[in-house]
Amino acid sequence: MAKTAFTGIEGKSKGYKLAVALLALLALSGLGSFIASYIQGHELFGSSNIVPWGLPIVFLIYLIGLSAGSLILSSLTYVFGREEYKPIARLAVYLAIVLIFGAMVFIFIDLGRPEKFWRLFMFFYMNNMRSMFAINGILYGGYFLISLTYLGFIFFDRPRFTKKIGILAVGWAGLVHMGTGAIFGFIAAREAWFSAVKPFEFLAAAITSGLALLIVAVVLTLKYTGRSVNKEMVVSLGKMLRVFIIVLLLLIAVDKLTHLYAPEREAALYMLAGRYSWMFWGLQIGMGAAIPLIVLFNPRLNRTVRWVTAASLSVVIGIFFERYFLVIPGAAYPLHYYPGEIEGIWGITGSFPIMPAEVLLSLGIMAILGLLYLFGLKYLELMPALKEPEKTTPPETPEKTEAPAEETPEAETPAEETAAGEA
Amino acid sequence: MDKERNKGETAKGNLILGVTRRTFLKISGLAAATALISRFFSRLPVFGADCNSPGQSEGVITEKWVTTSCLNCATRCGTRVRVVNGKAVKITGNPLSQVTEGENCPRAHIGLQVLYDEERITRPLKRTNPAKGKGIDPQWAPVSWEEALGEVGERLKVVRGDFRAPGGPHKLLLLAGLNTVSDEDYLRRFAEAYGTPNLIIDEGLENEADRAGQWLADGHYTQSAYDLPRTSYILSFGAGILESEKPLARNLRMWGKIRRERPNRAKVVVIDSRYSVTAAKADRWLPINPGTYGALAMAIANVIISENLYDTDFVNNRTAGFAEYRELALSQYSPEQVAALTSIPAETIREIAREFATTKPAIAWRGRTATSIPGGSYTGYAIFCLNALVGSIDVPGGVIYQEEPEYREIMPYGFGDEGRNRPRIDLSGTSQFPAARMVTNRVADAIISDNPYPVEMAIGFNANFIMSQPGNWRWHEAMKKLPYYVHVSPFFNEMTDYADILLPSPTFLELWGYDHSPPGSGFAEVRLKQPVVERTTDSRDVIEIIFTLAQSLGGSVAESFHGVGGSAERFVRYRTEPLIPWSEFLEKGVWTGPAYRYHKYDEIFRTPSGKFEFRSGNLQQINKDAVPLPHQEAVSYLGDHLEYPLVLQVYQPVLDVENGGQNYPWAQEFNLVQHGTGWENFAEMNRHTAAALGIRDHDNVWVESPFGKIRLKARVFEGIHPGVVAIALGQGHYANGKWADGTGVNPNEIIGVDYDRLSGQSAFFNTRVKVYRA
Amino acid sequence: MPRWGMVIDLDKCTACQSCSVACKAENNVPGSTPEEYRRRTAPFWHKVIAVSEGEYPAFSTTLIPMPCMHCDDAPCVTVCPAKATYHREDGIVVQNFRRCIGCKYCLIACPYGVRNFNYKEPEEKEYHRPDLPPDLESRGMWPFPHRIHGVVEKCTFCFHRIDAGLKEGKKIGEEVVPACAEACPAHAIAFGDLDDPHSGVSRLLASRDSIRLQERLGTSPKVYYLLK
Repeated sequence: MAKTAFTGIEGKSKGYKLAVALLALLALSGLGSFIASYIQGHELFGSSNIVPWGLPIVFLIYLIGLSAGSLILSSLTYVFGREEYKPIARLAVYLAIVLIFGAMVFIFIDLGRPEKFWRLFMFFYMNNMRSMFAINGILYGGYFLISLTYLGFIFFDRPRFTKKIGILAVGWAGLVHMGTGAIFGFIAAREAWFSAVKPFEFLAAAITSGLALLIVAVVLTLKYTGRSVNKEMVVSLGKMLRVFIIVLLLLIAVDKLTHLYAPEREAALYMLAGRYSWMFWGLQIGMGAAIPLIVLFNPRLNRTVRWVTAASLSVVIGIFFERYFLVIPGAAYPLHYYPGEIEGIWGITGSFPIMPAEVLLSLGIMAILGLLYLFGLKYLELMPALKEPEKTTPPETPEKTEAPAEETPEAETPAEETAAGEA
Repeated sequence: MDKERNKGETAKGNLILGVTRRTFLKISGLAAATALISRFFSRLPVFGADCNSPGQSEGVITEKWVTTSCLNCATRCGTRVRVVNGKAVKITGNPLSQVTEGENCPRAHIGLQVLYDEERITRPLKRTNPAKGKGIDPQWAPVSWEEALGEVGERLKVVRGDFRAPGGPHKLLLLAGLNTVSDEDYLRRFAEAYGTPNLIIDEGLENEADRAGQWLADGHYTQSAYDLPRTSYILSFGAGILESEKPLARNLRMWGKIRRERPNRAKVVVIDSRYSVTAAKADRWLPINPGTYGALAMAIANVIISENLYDTDFVNNRTAGFAEYRELALSQYSPEQVAALTSIPAETIREIAREFATTKPAIAWRGRTATSIPGGSYTGYAIFCLNALVGSIDVPGGVIYQEEPEYREIMPYGFGDEGRNRPRIDLSGTSQFPAARMVTNRVADAIISDNPYPVEMAIGFNANFIMSQPGNWRWHEAMKKLPYYVHVSPFFNEMTDYADILLPSPTFLELWGYDHSPPGSGFAEVRLKQPVVERTTDSRDVIEIIFTLAQSLGGSVAESFHGVGGSAERFVRYRTEPLIPWSEFLEKGVWTGPAYRYHKYDEIFRTPSGKFEFRSGNLQQINKDAVPLPHQEAVSYLGDHLEYPLVLQVYQPVLDVENGGQNYPWAQEFNLVQHGTGWENFAEMNRHTAAALGIRDHDNVWVESPFGKIRLKARVFEGIHPGVVAIALGQGHYANGKWADGTGVNPNEIIGVDYDRLSGQSAFFNTRVKVYRA
Repeated sequence: MPRWGMVIDLDKCTACQSCSVACKAENNVPGSTPEEYRRRTAPFWHKVIAVSEGEYPAFSTTLIPMPCMHCDDAPCVTVCPAKATYHREDGIVVQNFRRCIGCKYCLIACPYGVRNFNYKEPEEKEYHRPDLPPDLESRGMWPFPHRIHGVVEKCTFCFHRIDAGLKEGKKIGEEVVPACAEACPAHAIAFGDLDDPHSGVSRLLASRDSIRLQERLGTSPKVYYLLK
């Protein structure tokens, strides 16, 4: 097997710089929102005593899922030795690290008192280890460190160590997201969440969304950095994706059916047929499963990179809304303190206004992750080397220094943005 | 690969005053960051800055408990206030008060928000905008007390006139809302001395027909007192015992006692078109067609009489007119006849009647919902008579007669004055309202129509009739028309908008006074008010203001206050010292009278026959043509029943603070417990009614009467008669403060003007409305 | 060690909400604005819920005062990562503002909805208690001794009264009770040691059938209700 060479991208193109600038702007406004919320309090967010968790938690569990899924998929190459997925494997690990970092940033900013975040790491000393948050603290922290080690071994090209660490990392990643699922699934008070299936549902969602994101990220990155996309690899990933979607659907169905069979089924009915059920059917199932499955089982469409990517994008969005639907409408279901109809404010189904500060904050952090991704592409050897030599164009005139933060690095091979790459 | 930074790379044209663009941006970034960080850290408590109010970390330096009493409703419960470092922080009950056995209702705690209301009037104000009207800004200018009182004093002189320019003291109108009894007594003295008969003291009770109901039977123009702790059965006719009947805290305390603190648990049955909180806590709720309570009472009498369940001893020996009453009840009010009218099945009527008659002692409690309609006095009479029928008059657990405290007398004002003998402008006691003592709502019409004579000046004391009276558009007109209006209260409200001079009085936690509750306990009790904190505003007591004005009027008016004390503290001491030594009173805050004596049948009946009268001799004396027996008057409604198919019923939730304002977050957020909702009131209607109108829960609707319309949310509620729309009172302010304004609507804006003729009671419950989606 | 619990007699209760208002006054809990009320970002340590059943005219509403249940097996204690909420020896579930990181997991886990997150700085109140809010005033300079935005708060069974009362040798449950129990005009709220068979609460529980809310969840709440 030919050894794949990895490089960084040049990162000199206008598109790259524009992307960096936009993301930086978004990140700064996110920072501004955070400072505002730190000073003024969470009243700037949409959460309330009835829906206590909002967008940061949605993003957080989404990112953990993506991260865990992404890492698990890297095991295809580094654990199971499937070389055809090598081009995406490094990216998968790096993406996993960036995403878990993002998740931890979201945890930080969701806290009412972020300056006390260190208390989450006082394992066994000041922490209540029965709390799923505390357990997850160990899991996420360990996961971050293990993933970094994993990536390190990959860069230093030690296949045996890589495999061992890979097994550990992948197993750990599974536990990580099952732990996240347990945060929700182990809460008896919330009928919409209480289920033994939740950890597995989360794991399935992680792998599904991680794979989908990977497909989208890889295809777009390869395309925009002038590299060719291995169609066979993408198509086979697409076939893998549809299997995972089905598994996820199965777990969702088991969870819902369990609740529907029991006489105490109001919570499940609320989720499936209540005020917010459009999100479940339209976005979570529709975009997250139905449309992708239709595409990925269609013999004509599932052989094209474009359609597989589109289906993957649909999954990425759909599973984001799966998280959103779980956290927000799930918490909005009123607690039934006493049998009967609770009147007024104590019995209402919660609502969740979309507050600009919260949205900006979330997008800001995503922008930071985007920046990390772009910088990673540039400064780390994540992308497979270009297959064909590039058309040469006259080098650009020396650019003016635009801003102090601007770098003008030199890449090994002058790469220009071309439209090379298959569609 | 290289990741070199081209640090030194500058390019031409990037210099601003020699500073490179890079540096410039670095510096401004740093500046911004520093600004942000310092703001950031100044909020961080770890650096010592206290996020919270300054006083909160100082600890307790001084602490005391002050005995006083509440004035957030007419009950005036005894309280004790904890004052820490000069601030009142907590209000609890006064265990020495026997009326409430040391308990309070939730409004007592809201006293803290009354005291520390940020929007209080802080100094005397004078109107500079001559235009008056709803929503018109008076454009207050601060004035000194001397100036303000000087001006008011001058006006009073002009109105009263003297030998050179005879005026008419009767043209002074005194409007009192909820004030201390001491303030009321002082006001009465002033009215007497000044020479005006026009003193309206509302107290927020609105129970004139209720009072007349009893007066018809036994000559006591009063709400009934019930010996609650000893009763075994309560039959409530529209009475909000746990919400609005005073003394409320006594009812709340006794409820607990009679339900579970004695071997036999008292039974409570509530008859009301609306499922009130009292109904929720009672044993049975009987919805009834609005306005038909009198018929039901007579039907119950019918059953009791026909089945010989009445107390023959009492009826035969202590009553008069039983034969006629019996005849009427048996001939016209059989349960079958009444069932259709009231929508309560005949069998249920019999059941209830038998229960009421055989569970002793039992009380029949008449409430505003039953009596605040035309003919309500008779309804009240019919209900009250049920007590006599079962022998519940002046017995343990029955109706009792409130003892009044014997304050030191204020010597009668010896000087005659023709002003006092003029008819009152509310026409109480005239042929229009023959038995009435006070026809509050008529005052507006009197002012507008100058009938019986024009009003030249009015002074309001904690009054807010614009909010509390039905047909309140007339009050706007009347207030606008008043040539000169002075308002005395701690707060702005809808009435102060019309004032020419605004004089701030202290809140009840800052003043001296004495108080007693409306009838309820039987035994007398006087409670002290003393200031718990230093005054935070430049206010003066009602008593001080009146005394100053009286002195400036000079002559007999000034003399009339000699010896009774020119300050609130001295007046209170003067009046209460015969009852209890002053120092003891200051400490205990309560004087309780001797225990109640029952069976005073030779003393209590103030009737021609000297007995309880089923045929009212008192009424026959003032109006020979009126029907002297309890009965159901045909209900007359305002509004055609086809165009306005529903009847509007209003009610007072407990958290309706009755001092004319509602500017208190705690009162607002807990306002409607049955609906689990605060900061709002609703048009509550039955599910079937709503469905027929296409209205769903929480839809915006218009409730329209022949007199106006208001817009609010609908509350589709099972606990309400299908023909009724209920709206809670107390909301709909627009000039009271940020916590009250814009919250809810005031149903008095669309209730028409009608009266129970006999008593002058404003009718609150006979306006018809229609409801439709907005 | 006593195990403090509460017995609320729904037959005596008049649903006046003196308990809820007195709690606010006692513990410096701010009033809400209409917006905060509707968004449910306003704190309520104590509430009275109305539960309706039936159709006109056979309609009934049960009105139930709900303080924090101080469950023996409290889900909030289980889920708090920072040990900011924990059981005292006497069974009271307390909230330590200093340790609270504001993750709101306890709000999620509480089946009774009695926990409140501070969404903004509590406003300056004119009638505050300089000796409280209830937490660690005695710890001095430690950061965040006071209630500020970003931490969770809830009913404390007025432990400040209990501790002060015990120091003075008073009888808890008779002379010293939480503010809600003290304020209840109908004497419907009893407080005392559930482990003492002679206490008022134990005798009440022995005399009548009682229920607890959401018993099937197994939280073992220490607030019992006697039905009408």
